[in-house]
Amino acid sequence: MINRRNMMQAVAAGFGAAVSSSMIPSSAQAATKPTGKPKRIIFFMQNQGFDPATCIPEGLDETVSLDGIKLPEPIEALEAHKDKINIISGLHGMHTSPSHSAYFGALGGYRGGIGIAPSASTIDHEISKVLPQTALPHLCVGMDAMENMTSRPTLATLSAKGAGQPLFMHSNPNHLYQMLFGGIATGDVKRRYEAKSKVFDQIELLAGQAGMSLPSRSSDRYGSYVDGFKDINGLRERLAGVSDTLKKFAPEYGEKFTNPEFETDWHDSILDVSIAALKSGLTNVLTIGSGRGEIFGSWKGLGVTEAGHNLGHVKQPENPIWIKIRQYNCRMLVKLIDELESMPEDGGTMMDNTLIVYTSNNADKQHTNGANWPFILLGNCSGHFKTGQFTQLDSRRPINDFYATLLHAVGAPCDRFNMDKNIAGKHDSKVGPIEELLA
Amino acid sequence: MLNAFAVFAVAQKPKTFKTLVKPFLKQHCIDCHSDDTQEGDVSFEGIKGLNAENVGLWKRVWEQVALKEMPPRDELTQPELMERLHITKWITGELEREMRDKGKFQTHLHPTKGNHLDHDLLFGKLPKKLEPTSSPARIWRLHPQEHLTRLNALINQEPEFNPKQPGVRTRGDFIPPNQEGEVKVYYGLDRVIGWVGGTAAYAASITGFPPVLSTENHHGLQNYPVLYSVNGAEATQIASNAEDILRFMAYGPDAEDYQFADKTSEIDEKYKHESLRGLSQSLFYSKSPKRPMTPVYDLMNKPDSTDEDLQAAVDYLFEALTARPPTKEESVTYLGILKGAIADLGKEEGVILGLTPIFLDRDALFRSELAEYGTPDKFGRVMLQDEELALAVNAAFSYIQPDETLKQAMLEGRMKTRADVKREVTRILADDTIRKPRVLQFFREYFDYTRAGKICKDSSALKQAGGGFKNELTYYRTLFSMSANTDRLVELILEEDKDVLTELLTTDRVVIGGGQEADLFSEFVGPQKSPPKTEEDGPKKKKVVSSPLIKVVTLPKGERIYTRVAQVERGRGAQKTLTVLPADQRMGILTHPSWLVSHSDAMDNHAILRGRWIRERLLGDAVPDVPITVDAMLPDEPNTTLRHRMRVTRDSECWRCHQKMDPLGLPFEMYNHLGIYRKLELGEPVDTSGEIINSGDPALDGPVDDALDMISKLAKSERVKQVFVRHAFRYWMGRNETINDAPVLQDAYQAYTENDGSMNAMLASLLTSDAFIYRKVERE
Repeated sequence: MINRRNMMQAVAAGFGAAVSSSMIPSSAQAATKPTGKPKRIIFFMQNQGFDPATCIPEGLDETVSLDGIKLPEPIEALEAHKDKINIISGLHGMHTSPSHSAYFGALGGYRGGIGIAPSASTIDHEISKVLPQTALPHLCVGMDAMENMTSRPTLATLSAKGAGQPLFMHSNPNHLYQMLFGGIATGDVKRRYEAKSKVFDQIELLAGQAGMSLPSRSSDRYGSYVDGFKDINGLRERLAGVSDTLKKFAPEYGEKFTNPEFETDWHDSILDVSIAALKSGLTNVLTIGSGRGEIFGSWKGLGVTEAGHNLGHVKQPENPIWIKIRQYNCRMLVKLIDELESMPEDGGTMMDNTLIVYTSNNADKQHTNGANWPFILLGNCSGHFKTGQFTQLDSRRPINDFYATLLHAVGAPCDRFNMDKNIAGKHDSKVGPIEELLA
Repeated sequence: MLNAFAVFAVAQKPKTFKTLVKPFLKQHCIDCHSDDTQEGDVSFEGIKGLNAENVGLWKRVWEQVALKEMPPRDELTQPELMERLHITKWITGELEREMRDKGKFQTHLHPTKGNHLDHDLLFGKLPKKLEPTSSPARIWRLHPQEHLTRLNALINQEPEFNPKQPGVRTRGDFIPPNQEGEVKVYYGLDRVIGWVGGTAAYAASITGFPPVLSTENHHGLQNYPVLYSVNGAEATQIASNAEDILRFMAYGPDAEDYQFADKTSEIDEKYKHESLRGLSQSLFYSKSPKRPMTPVYDLMNKPDSTDEDLQAAVDYLFEALTARPPTKEESVTYLGILKGAIADLGKEEGVILGLTPIFLDRDALFRSELAEYGTPDKFGRVMLQDEELALAVNAAFSYIQPDETLKQAMLEGRMKTRADVKREVTRILADDTIRKPRVLQFFREYFDYTRAGKICKDSSALKQAGGGFKNELTYYRTLFSMSANTDRLVELILEEDKDVLTELLTTDRVVIGGGQEADLFSEFVGPQKSPPKTEEDGPKKKKVVSSPLIKVVTLPKGERIYTRVAQVERGRGAQKTLTVLPADQRMGILTHPSWLVSHSDAMDNHAILRGRWIRERLLGDAVPDVPITVDAMLPDEPNTTLRHRMRVTRDSECWRCHQKMDPLGLPFEMYNHLGIYRKLELGEPVDTSGEIINSGDPALDGPVDDALDMISKLAKSERVKQVFVRHAFRYWMGRNETINDAPVLQDAYQAYTENDGSMNAMLASLLTSDAFIYRKVERE
């Protein structure tokens, strides 16, 4: 969709290219100064690492406009949206222990590892507390091999609302659909939904009564059980209040949900439900875990017969499997952009007020020390971020600083995110947001 | 808990920063940690207590003081052990207070911090005026296996224990993983008479569900009550599973009429078309039901059901899920919900929805030890009684409901005294028909040998180590199978109940299966110019080696033995062999591939993890958490030995902790990362030397030649056995020991040694102790 700002960026980009491609990024220069409040941020975490060679155009080693530069094959689907992206190189996550996966540490900016509980809140959740509140402030979804999504439809490995408080990703699109759009059904389905709601309210009541006289430590833990019902029932009530809107945006519930041929059918369905949640205003923060933060995952629907951990052992550049997976990711990113651009908002489109953060929970590769952790940003988030460029950070900045930059953009500035002075002394060369990224 | 000292000594004044900590810092710390000196960038000058700004520093101080890392060991003036204890209790108490609204501090309650209480305080001379112990009143979330086993009992009829085939899975045993390592309960499996396609299609067509409750995926003991709750996502899944389970209880397999037959030959060929492979429609079931026929079945299959039928279904389900009969009030409440759902949806759907809440009852997910009765003694303790006591005793062994004798004792008021507990514990321990998966689970968690199949291996590293597996799937299957073998060996040693720990550490016996399991007990010889010689097994037959890098080690024929297999493998037991291993290559389960691979990584051995296991589980010591500023990575240097790459841990800032682990893990370099024995590494004789440093038992300290030398020394140590008792205490009490538990630990150790290393004697002692039967209550 062409709007005023697209046009301005297109004009500016053209001008930059004509002058010099090595100048300070032209579209970034031209990007409008912050015009409004950011409304939504989407995190897309692909597992097994994000090799810089698969996203940084060949030969680039300093900050430069992407005008006239061809994107590498794995991310070529973003070519048409080049003016909206910023490829960032030079962040690090050495303190997060990202080999195999930093798990919660990838979005938390702290040491993570298999089976290690989150030691603090993650950036996605922190942002969900700052952005305009919605019925479901933070939605986490995960994509994985079919058997994993079936046998363990919820899993928590990436997002957390605090120390020891993981947030679960939803991976069965049928459950997710039921949870978000079950209330808009009619006839027998609605009758069942209502009867179930009533029973769940009774369960919450009983569960609450059974926890009234527990000793303090047990009471805390049992409280989280009761809170689980409160969350489920509370969400249902909030959704009931917006059911007319939900009806408008509910995705088509068809064979891809109920009778998938490959796991990618479910991946697509999960994305569809997530997009519907964004477009209907149900949620403003979406975290997508492709491979669900672990070292497995499967993409048979793309013709990739290898699965799981071994995918991480192959080198990504020029590898046909990884090209397919990355291209699939990029098609999803483009779909997100297109769908959000199709929605008018504040005189522009939803995408104008959105930022998509694409990276890996595993830094650059499976066995890594996290010295380079590439990111791609899509969208300028109400004019707060530079776009249309490749950014090479020269100073030593941890991923925490990028997260602090996000908080800065959404109106909750902080000097550092999840990083105390001592750790910063070793891992950080500056304080505050990364100015190079901000418009 | 702020005034923690009152717990271990009566009438002791609360100690404060001013009266306790400040003088300690002045005497032991400030010389090196003042504003001028700031060793390790730490200064205590001007510090006024614990607050939000310095919690990170105090966490480090807590570990350093508790583990005797600070003051440095070469300092002449060292604090007394009791002084260290007072300081650490003050710090953890203050951390709890400060962090109460900031994500909470409970690290000290985690099982990995159990050894932060010095061993000599527990097994040395007991302090005077020690307050008698108890455990806190609490609820204890069910172990995921316990939850799964109870759900399984609703839908599958398992065979009773057969003394002729011990080891075969029977009623009450835990649910073992399938070949791919998935733990699942299946619907209608015992009724399947045939299917379309091969075994892969069969496995795909059967529906089931995995455990819903989760545990942390860390090494060591897992199931402390303080760690777990049930979250909203889990509750939703339980509700969803409950509906499927109830439907199955009522109607059996969800299948078309044509799928039921006496023989598969009776089924029309059109239903056997290969396009159906892997679909649920491709399974054929016997006509006669095999699942338990319960009041839920009666209710749904009776046209005119009455309130009594509804009540019977409610009561049956409640007892099956909570292991106790419902109270009158509970029964009425759930009946009301059931009737309401039937009124809304009609009987067929209403019963399914209306019974679901029972699956989410507090007591179906948590076992309570609240002791909300009686009068607390002067120490604030109440003894568990009746249902709570009976269910605590039952849960010490079993995942399913109490057996009839215990149930009657519970209902008839004969579970009230220590003598009652002793009677039941002794009886249960002597009865093999009562399966005791909880006891086996202790050894699985204590040794950590069941992680092997979950350690991902790099394909080329797998090949280079001599793993001639056809594909990676075969590797994982082999390792899951080998963990089941170790289960069986543990059970054998438990049946003998003699010098249990020593036997586990030093036995020459092994349970081994066919296929490539034998390869992993072979010898790695590396690339050879000509094909390696294979030793003949009999005059004609030669053993085939699946990798040219290994040489078969021929083992004696041995005797037949059974191990458990998953229900989906269409068998209840796998036949294996019990034989012995060469004494110059292997000794006990720490030298079996199941343990070695469990403590390895994708590419190589994990000497640090192995060393840490020895340090924690045998020596009763611990290693502080890695400082967050450390980049804990070994260099990536292909074609060099692990020992060489580990040179980086010898840097002074690393070595203080790594000396506790590395020299204990490197002796296991006599095996490669698949657990295959080797004399050579990269063509050179492998260096297997190591050292026991600061073990707490001077007789143990000193260099060791290899893992066998080290294990044989450790197995003789009194301290090692005491540490084993400490771990058993933690497992069965569900918490870390305190100094008040010292008498309980000493009694349990005495019971163990005086009965020739009897696990049963130790367990009987622990389960009749104050720590097990008393609860400290919070009353207003």
